[in-house]
Amino acid sequence: MRPFEYYSPRTLSEACNLLAEGEPDSKILAGGTDVLVEMRKSSAWSSKAIVDITRIPSLRGIGESGDWIIIKPLTTHTEVLHSDLVRTHAPLLQTAVSTIGSPQIRNRGTVGGNIMNAAACADTVPPLIALDAEIMLKSTSGERVIALSEFFVKPYVTVARRDEILVEVRFPKLPANARSSFVKLGRRNALSIARLSVAAVVCKDEAGVVTDARIVPGAAFPRWQRVPEAEKLLIGQKPSKELLVEGGKKVSEVMISFTGRRWSTEYKEPVIAVLVRRALEACE
Amino acid sequence: MEKKKREVRNESSTGMSRRNFLGTVSAGALGATIARPVPRASGQEDSGNLPQVTITINGRVHQLRVEPRWTLLYVLRDKLGLTGTKPGCERGECGSCTVLIDGVTRYSCLTLALEADGRQVTTVEGLMQGEQLGPVQRAFLEEDGFQCGYCTPGQVMSAEGLLRQKPNPTIDEIQIGMSGNLCRCGAYDHIFKSVRRAAELRK
Amino acid sequence: MVGKHKIIGKPERRVDAWGKVTGKAKYAEDYTVGHQLWGKVLRSKYPHAKILSIDTSKASELLGVEAVLTAREIPGSNVFGIVVKNQQILADERVRFLGDGVALVAAKSKEIADHALALIDVQYELLPVVSDPEEALRPGAPLIHGDTNEFVHHKVRKGDVAKGFAEADFTIERKFKTQFVEHAYIEPEAVLAEPAEQGGVKITGSVQNLFSSRRSVAEALGISLNRVQIIQSTLGGSFGGKDEVMTSMCCRAALLAGRTGKPVKMVNTREESMLESYKRHPYVLYYKWGAKKDGTITAMEIRVVADGGAYASMSPFVTWRSVVQATGPYYCENVKTDVYAAYTNNNYTGAMRGFGSPQVDFAIESMMDELAEAVGVTPLEIRMKNGFEGGAVTATGQKLAHTVSLKEVLSKAAQELGFEEKWRRYRDAKAVAKRRGVGLACSYRGVSLGAEGVDAAQTTVSVQTDGSVIVSSGVTDMGQGAQTQMAQITAEVLGISVDRIQFLNTNTSGVADSGPTVASRGTVMGGLAAKNAAEKVRATLLEVGSELTGTPVDALDLADNYLVNERTNERLASFGELTAACFNKGRPMIGLGWHKAPRTSWHEEEGKGDAYFTFVYGANAAEVEVDTETGRVNVIDFVSVHDVGKAINRAMVTGQMCGGVAMGLGYGLLEEFEIEAGIPKQLNFDEYLIPTSMDVPRIKTVIVENEDPAGPFGAKSVGEPTNELAAPAIVNAIYNATGKRVYEIPANLERVFLGHKLTRHDKRGSEQKNAFDAVMVESCKVRGGSE
Repeated sequence: MRPFEYYSPRTLSEACNLLAEGEPDSKILAGGTDVLVEMRKSSAWSSKAIVDITRIPSLRGIGESGDWIIIKPLTTHTEVLHSDLVRTHAPLLQTAVSTIGSPQIRNRGTVGGNIMNAAACADTVPPLIALDAEIMLKSTSGERVIALSEFFVKPYVTVARRDEILVEVRFPKLPANARSSFVKLGRRNALSIARLSVAAVVCKDEAGVVTDARIVPGAAFPRWQRVPEAEKLLIGQKPSKELLVEGGKKVSEVMISFTGRRWSTEYKEPVIAVLVRRALEACE
Repeated sequence: MEKKKREVRNESSTGMSRRNFLGTVSAGALGATIARPVPRASGQEDSGNLPQVTITINGRVHQLRVEPRWTLLYVLRDKLGLTGTKPGCERGECGSCTVLIDGVTRYSCLTLALEADGRQVTTVEGLMQGEQLGPVQRAFLEEDGFQCGYCTPGQVMSAEGLLRQKPNPTIDEIQIGMSGNLCRCGAYDHIFKSVRRAAELRK
Repeated sequence: MVGKHKIIGKPERRVDAWGKVTGKAKYAEDYTVGHQLWGKVLRSKYPHAKILSIDTSKASELLGVEAVLTAREIPGSNVFGIVVKNQQILADERVRFLGDGVALVAAKSKEIADHALALIDVQYELLPVVSDPEEALRPGAPLIHGDTNEFVHHKVRKGDVAKGFAEADFTIERKFKTQFVEHAYIEPEAVLAEPAEQGGVKITGSVQNLFSSRRSVAEALGISLNRVQIIQSTLGGSFGGKDEVMTSMCCRAALLAGRTGKPVKMVNTREESMLESYKRHPYVLYYKWGAKKDGTITAMEIRVVADGGAYASMSPFVTWRSVVQATGPYYCENVKTDVYAAYTNNNYTGAMRGFGSPQVDFAIESMMDELAEAVGVTPLEIRMKNGFEGGAVTATGQKLAHTVSLKEVLSKAAQELGFEEKWRRYRDAKAVAKRRGVGLACSYRGVSLGAEGVDAAQTTVSVQTDGSVIVSSGVTDMGQGAQTQMAQITAEVLGISVDRIQFLNTNTSGVADSGPTVASRGTVMGGLAAKNAAEKVRATLLEVGSELTGTPVDALDLADNYLVNERTNERLASFGELTAACFNKGRPMIGLGWHKAPRTSWHEEEGKGDAYFTFVYGANAAEVEVDTETGRVNVIDFVSVHDVGKAINRAMVTGQMCGGVAMGLGYGLLEEFEIEAGIPKQLNFDEYLIPTSMDVPRIKTVIVENEDPAGPFGAKSVGEPTNELAAPAIVNAIYNATGKRVYEIPANLERVFLGHKLTRHDKRGSEQKNAFDAVMVESCKVRGGSE
């Protein structure tokens, strides 16, 4: 591991100052499950300083504010897994974190880190986008709020500036008539990254007609996004088995329109359609 | 490593501001900015300038100076001689370096020593009750919960962490609870039995 | 003593248990001495290249660096190899795979050593790369050693296959492929080499085969064998894997220690380990069987090409076991088998648990199921029809003289899983998305080395004046429990409890060269040597006891830590009093036990012989659930049945059976060390996936005991047979579930769903440039779903 400088700010403003004025090539340490892995390899690691934000108490915890759930970035996956608020208002997020890595990784990895690292297979991101989450970034020059769906450029690249810290993730509580799901396909049953995943939210009126649908595939598109083309198919309909199959196929079609036909398309094309169908079935 | 380890018992933290905890390691980019005539690599710094941490390990307070890049795993093994904690992959996949930090299982290879400042760390050595085996250790011994034994300290710590959270785990909870520790000898079945036995022994 | 064992067959604790649950057991990396230096290896940048020049001057000048070595500075021999000496400690003129070492550094810290490596300038001229064994055998392929890449051709000939095919009603012809498999011992390789007081070197390390490593170290340093001492530290798994890769590490550390006069420690990171270490051979297998409508097999024609990688290693032996066992435990009068091994620019391949059997068993057992289907019977029925019985003559012409328990293990496995009923039910089930299936596989396996090599072992039993006992052996413990078994055998013979026995880690200067602990020979060879040693001590003790008490020797026995009068059951003296008397009378307190295996034979040209002195039999039955819409397979139930002759320690036998299945499950479903154009794709456990606690089902184990006079107390081997059947049982179960057969393992998502592997066709493989950097950058791709 190459040497670096280490800062452990105790307040948010201290952290912002460090990022603004300190070593320009610095990296934020939250859960460390990715940063430390990266650091081990000198060829891929160029940062000269670590800003360890784990001792800033205000960046921890899950709460609610009116119709919103607020998750602070240092909240660990284990904390999300045990949160009653999340269970009640965003069960798909709980399903997603339960599939992450292993107990030790869930004890360590954070929601904020999962977002900021922006790996294509980050498990919390599809559910959060399906929840219409927004995030707040803070720096010495102020705060800004961005819809999570607008945050990612491509894998490992986001619109966040180097001096910005993620300080809050928030999303509206799912309405009472909403059903949600998260489906993940991995190669084994633990310590497994997503080969493909799908987060879905479906709301229906009393007659069983879909009033809102949100579908977010993971590890499939060049960047995370909802798939309005498929969502539209469902809205205003009473879902039949065929309709859900069609929804899956539409997602697959849209995926290929973004990625083109690649070496892995032969597998991903049919399987993402299946996973979407299953995610939607789980919302029935 | 030529550095002297500094280990002090029962001294409180210095309370020094973390703002001053700057690593002072010298080298720049590899091979590029090495000044002649005496090239120096990193890792040769004067330990006096290193940040100091206070970590309670197995109930003993240790105060020591660490380089920022040192992982907790490295410090436990190479600085404190607690070699029960094993390196296996050094990227948080195999679990043989599992320890408890403030009672929660963590991969010590993915934890900087500086992050452990002010915290309670428990390693496999800390599960002994004097000269006697702790209940989890005893259970692994009785149920033959290992073969080559290399992953065992990590397995034992994961079991300890699991049982602290869930004193009576179901078989599913045991499987999930132990899923962050690879055992290539494939002793999983005996490991699960050991965890169940440990739950009984802890009562 | 047979029939009234006090220790044998009882659930004795492992002798190494306490150290392992407390963290006190010392593995190689746990050894640290004052003023030790860190040794590091600069490895090749390319899979195949000529070395034009190596400039170490900058590295040598770095503060804290104490030695930089290249091949030129090796005082003795730079080459080693157990069968063919063609591997180098450091490449001199040419690198043949990405894991080849080019230069060594010893420095005051790991970081300094790493830094120094980056300052070594090596100029290469690139050579064409061959990465596929069948391509390597074609004319015009790049040559790796000498004038041909074919370095093994073993054959078996029986009857006349042309006649056999003529008699057949139909033929089945299939191609199978297996993959490179990483041993994935959780403990990476490590050694500590210290200059010895009287010259020479003392090495403590995670070494599986101490005596072959010692020979190479002595030759590298140019000194005699008695000046090289290698002590085995507690081994954190090996599975056949800590052989040549440890030999080169021992040599390198010894060279650096010799050069600097200081202790040198070397430890591989996981990435270095996966990059350099050898793997299980990938095989391409062409099977052609002729059969009659009633299922009788009239001919088997088999051609196998093994990827030997860059060096010979154990390939000649591994492939020999394949050729002997390639027809499985089935009657067939006409056999023609050819097994080839080819050099390539891939990781070299060598010993791994199974040793040439997992590959052929996958093919044989898949073929057997296809035959069953063609004939219209169940997989169990076809095996019962064709399987060996007592007195059977194998493909190599060997008549089986021991108890042939194939049908016993087969029917037990089938019964325990409810195989027949489930197999029919699942075959006829509706085609829903998630489908169940069951599969069966069985094998026979030659015990120990067989005609592969010299097969003898030594164990020493030494009693102390207080009645405690020290046992040491040239057969080593890698975690499989060899020490415990030898301790149990010793305790049984001496009538003492196991806790009186202290087992010494193997030390090449303390015991005689016992050959390699491979081929599941630990129990049989080490055990019989221990029994022999203990019996010598016992005879002395009984004589002394007779002199002490005036009781005739034939009335005396050793039991429960006492000398007893067998007729009156009177306790005459404690074991400690007896050993003290032995000392006071000046009698030998030590027994040297030696066992040489019974004769075996092999005629390489005729392809015939009595290959092994005895065989073991095993059967596995698997139940899977296949998600046919994604290709995901979960193993939900599993039965493992093995005839072990006699279980010395039931808990450990069960442990071996479960462990073998877990590893076999990984082989069948998950594991694949991919090499493309000489460049490996997986270098750590994030990408090389082995089964977790959530992937291995509860395994029902059934131990069958048909005692075999060839082993101690009737015991045979268990380590490897447990590892060779899970993959074919699972693949057959997938077929039962889906009606689609997988011909290449692992049966991962893509292969099960699409029927073939997905291959990324990126530039990385085709261009050699910066191959090493590419692979290292790739290897640290950041984990996805974690932070």
